[in-house]
Amino acid sequence: MDELPKRAPEAAEGIKAETTTSAPIRHLQFKVALLLALTLVLSVAFVAYVLYARGVFENEQKLVLVTESSDGVNVGMPVTFRGFSIGRVRSIELGNDATVRIEIAVPKKDARWLRVSNVFIIERTLVGSVTIRAATVQLDNPPLPDGAVCTSQAGSSGAKCTVLRGDATEDIPHLVTNLKDLLHNLQNMTAADSSLGASLANVRTVTERMTGRYGALSAALGGDENAQKVTASIDRANKLLDSLGGVAARLDQTLAKADQRVFGKDGAMDETQKAIQQFNAVLGDVRDSLKKADAVLADAQKIGANARAATDDLATLRSEVEASLRKVSALINEINRKWPFARDTELKLP
Amino acid sequence: MQIPTFHDAPARLARGLAAWAAGWWRVFHFGATALVMAASPSAYDRATSTLMARQIYFTALQILPGFLLVSALLSYTVIRIVVLGADKYGLAQYALNIAVRVQVLELIPLFVALFVALRSGAAINTEVVLMHIRGDLEALQRAGADPMRHELVPRVVGSAVSVVALTVIAGSMALVLAYVAMYGFSPGGMEDYADAIGAIFDLHVTLGLGLKALFFGLAVAIIPITASLEVPREVRFAPIAVLSGMVRLFLVLMLIEGASLAVKYI
Repeated sequence: MDELPKRAPEAAEGIKAETTTSAPIRHLQFKVALLLALTLVLSVAFVAYVLYARGVFENEQKLVLVTESSDGVNVGMPVTFRGFSIGRVRSIELGNDATVRIEIAVPKKDARWLRVSNVFIIERTLVGSVTIRAATVQLDNPPLPDGAVCTSQAGSSGAKCTVLRGDATEDIPHLVTNLKDLLHNLQNMTAADSSLGASLANVRTVTERMTGRYGALSAALGGDENAQKVTASIDRANKLLDSLGGVAARLDQTLAKADQRVFGKDGAMDETQKAIQQFNAVLGDVRDSLKKADAVLADAQKIGANARAATDDLATLRSEVEASLRKVSALINEINRKWPFARDTELKLP
Repeated sequence: MQIPTFHDAPARLARGLAAWAAGWWRVFHFGATALVMAASPSAYDRATSTLMARQIYFTALQILPGFLLVSALLSYTVIRIVVLGADKYGLAQYALNIAVRVQVLELIPLFVALFVALRSGAAINTEVVLMHIRGDLEALQRAGADPMRHELVPRVVGSAVSVVALTVIAGSMALVLAYVAMYGFSPGGMEDYADAIGAIFDLHVTLGLGLKALFFGLAVAIIPITASLEVPREVRFAPIAVLSGMVRLFLVLMLIEGASLAVKYI
């Protein structure tokens, strides 16, 4: 051990070495006590703050939300109202009736937001965690009592507050099921024995026939034999058309001759034209005669009109004659009264 | 020196394993003895309290201003990064939660433990190995004093207390800095802050944090001392003792951190 220097006091005094055996330190106990006190104070303050933050010192009101699932709900998660935390989940338990009871502690100062007819929404977003929020708070409603139970059916427990669940991920299984159905259908459609496959096979047969000797005709008629018959028919029709062509040529000649006879010089048409001209002249005479008859008729009409006027005058005349006769009769009656020669007063009218 | 052959490889392996197991056994044995002794009030007298106070002074007080500065800078930077990152990805409501969990629960205790291990752990290791080689501990025993009680346990207690104290102070500072980084100097975020802190620090997490700091503190003294005492009493073994002590200490710190994470999150 001789090679190891026991101590180097002149060096050690100058160096604040990291050893516990160096020179005495002034106010050592005091400084250390100060550090320990600081540590203790900070620890106690921290614990007290955490207890305060966890609501240990606050008077709390309990609220129970009854729902179907506790998915994503954790003990300690906040219940918000308008984005402000008004309470925390204290405990979650599975009830005897297989419903989930979420117990929420709300500090007394925030309990004023708990009203009858409150709706609590347990909401799960696609990204992020579940949130519980109080919605539709009507401040003119009476406050919820301590220990109120809210269920998904309003009024069933008498508390009249409601719990709703909104889960954006709930639709995903439904979506997946639909997608599965769709894929299944697609699979059925594309399977070897599917109707689509059969249709495609038929299309293939048809197109194969179309590439054959008789082309689309064979495809349309369902075989080469039928197509052959059709082409034979067409051939025969062609022959028929040829002979018809001969017939038409002869008919043409006949028609030319008929034309000559009918429309040629001194033909039937020529004679007819002449007859028509004569007929026209006759018709002109008839028209003149008719014009004369028309004038006669006009005169007759005029005579008729005059006769009517005359009959009108005759009526007037007759009435006047009647009046005169009555006057004469009256005069005779008068004379007869005054001079009674005869008793016969009968008057003969014309 | 005998040249190692292939034939005695299993035997060498067995010897190595035995030595490794014996080393860890000594660590646990010494740790348990030190804890029991530290828990009994009769172990403390004027000399041991002075030694303990000096240990605390050198481990915690002497470095306090520099340590606080570095710790504050680190805390503020990390919290700011977390808050900005969370904001950017639309997770602002989790920013404080993540920042406090990362900084106060994980980074600060580990940072304190590493800081103290590199500085005081290495010093204790060297000091004790020199005392061991010089025969100071035997001399004490011959004089009727228990070296464990008078020299070693005060160092263990002192460094454990120092690590816990530094963790508490730096952690409190980080909590204040987290508030400032999140809400500035306005008191408007007090309720949100209280909600977040209340949600993070439940009983398990708070107890876990305390226990972790305590284990870090104990490891920082116990492992170097054990490593110092197990080498042969020759000067040339002093560096080996420091080396193995430091490596083992680092391993244990990481194990404690890993175990704490596993308990908390698995």
